Amino acid sequence: MKIWKIAQNTFGTFLRDRLLIIFGVLFICTVLLMMTPLLVAKAMAKVGSAAQAQGMILGMVSSIMFFVSGTGSLLAAWCAASSVANEIKSGTILAVMARPVKRWEFLLGKYAGVILLMSVYVVMMFGLSWLLAWIGGERIQSTPWVLLAYPMVRYAVYGAVAMALVTVLHPVLTIGIIFIMAVVALIVEPTGQAVTGYWNDLRLPLWIILPSTSLLSEDRFLAITHASLKQVGALEHLTVLTYGLDYALVLLLIAMWSFHYRSLTRD
Amino acid sequence: MTTPAIEFKEVTKVYRRRLAGQEVPALTHVSFEVGAGEVCAFLGPNGAGKTTSINILMGFLYADYGKISVLGYEPGDVRAKQKTGFVPENFAFYKHLNAEKLLRFHLALAGGDMTKSIGLIRDLLFKVQLQGYEKLKIGKYSRGMVQRLGIAQALLSDPQLLLLDEPTSGLDPAGRKEVKELIHTMKGEGKTIFLSSHILSEVEQICDRAIIIDKGRLVRMGSLNELLGTGDHVEILANGLSPEVEAALVEWGATIERGPNSVRITVPVTRKRELVEKLWASGFDLLSMNPVRSSLEELYLKLIGTGVPV
Repeated sequence: MKIWKIAQNTFGTFLRDRLLIIFGVLFICTVLLMMTPLLVAKAMAKVGSAAQAQGMILGMVSSIMFFVSGTGSLLAAWCAASSVANEIKSGTILAVMARPVKRWEFLLGKYAGVILLMSVYVVMMFGLSWLLAWIGGERIQSTPWVLLAYPMVRYAVYGAVAMALVTVLHPVLTIGIIFIMAVVALIVEPTGQAVTGYWNDLRLPLWIILPSTSLLSEDRFLAITHASLKQVGALEHLTVLTYGLDYALVLLLIAMWSFHYRSLTRD
Repeated sequence: MTTPAIEFKEVTKVYRRRLAGQEVPALTHVSFEVGAGEVCAFLGPNGAGKTTSINILMGFLYADYGKISVLGYEPGDVRAKQKTGFVPENFAFYKHLNAEKLLRFHLALAGGDMTKSIGLIRDLLFKVQLQGYEKLKIGKYSRGMVQRLGIAQALLSDPQLLLLDEPTSGLDPAGRKEVKELIHTMKGEGKTIFLSSHILSEVEQICDRAIIIDKGRLVRMGSLNELLGTGDHVEILANGLSPEVEAALVEWGATIERGPNSVRITVPVTRKRELVEKLWASGFDLLSMNPVRSSLEELYLKLIGTGVPV
């Protein structure tokens, strides 16, 4: 009950956050601009084969969704970081924590608020991918739950990383670190090419430690054309999603532990 | 023996700025107790360590050293917080909520009975003179209104202990009077009240005890009678004074101030009866008689800055 109330309140605060509203408007404008090449691709597809056209348009949809989805990761991190930091900065946390609320309950409530916001984002993203495919005269081949569950787990990971970092760092620094971590995680992703030296020794540990969520990226399902549709087994889905959830859980537990020992005042 | 509502034993807190390598001692071996049912003032200049102490009591900060208990529990324990109401200095609320929604949110966090929330919230808002503003967004409230809302939320779960950090800050004289009356009512209900304030005249009227700290150290504590004295002099207002009584008074070391229609005489309490009899014998009348004791403000100004430990 307490956690749910904090989550609801956090969600309500996000909906009225001016920075997030500005971000939302700019984001919509960017996505609309990105639709132009899609329409060009659709026009060009008329001269090629059907399979080529399907591949090109789904590839284009996938590219747009890669941007939308990637921004979602940073949005999840920013919301998680700012939701805790703003409470401390404004002093609103004092009134809440004066209630019989445990510190971990408060943090879990804030996290649940972030997850609520990201659920809305994921639903909108799902709708956008279908809309883009429809504009391109195609349809998404993948099953809907995959397009909902994968980004959700990825955002849970980024939210948890941000929560853990913001308990000890400034939110801007937190976002900076997360951005670098995400870029490094992309760089260290195994590519199949042979690499030698120290870099090779470093690559695997980094791949394991960093939020290497490319496996959790749903755009790999978006790029699949009907012709190349490969059935991903339940075990593969389960393994990947469990990896993500486990990563998020560990980070969230670290955040709770760290938050337990920190000062709740601005000093 | 009953458990004190607040126990602060040898508490030490140092703020550390790790990057700058600075250490700022906020509290140094501060010890005090507040008994159940007491109204205790916590006094000191800005930066004395009052808010730090209150934050430690609420579990927002951890002390580096010392033993602290609130209603018999560790600070921050939910069992203690269940019975505690808290008004922080410069209270901050979620500005997008209105008073009614905010109080309902706090009631839910306090685990209160939501079925009775409407009546309870209406009564509380009436108590703090915010009726009619229930639906107004808190972002549009004045500072005084926010402060009163802070008091309303502190009273939400009918607490045994109230920790009030500058509860009258930002309030106009009428608002301050209302808060003073509220504290009087709560005192009558047997609640323990621990408040920090700079308005010493008000503190003197409502508190049983006072604790004075300065630069993180305890300077003085005790009941107001102990601190201010029970009055070893009395002030007598008479409608006149004969020359022979005046001569006797000068011998006793009394001070005499003549007004247009009265004479104000301050004498040691041991001479009180003698003086009254002399006045009556010489045909004058007594208009009033009051014990003289120093004010809390005088004591405060005398102590602060001297750095004299208890």
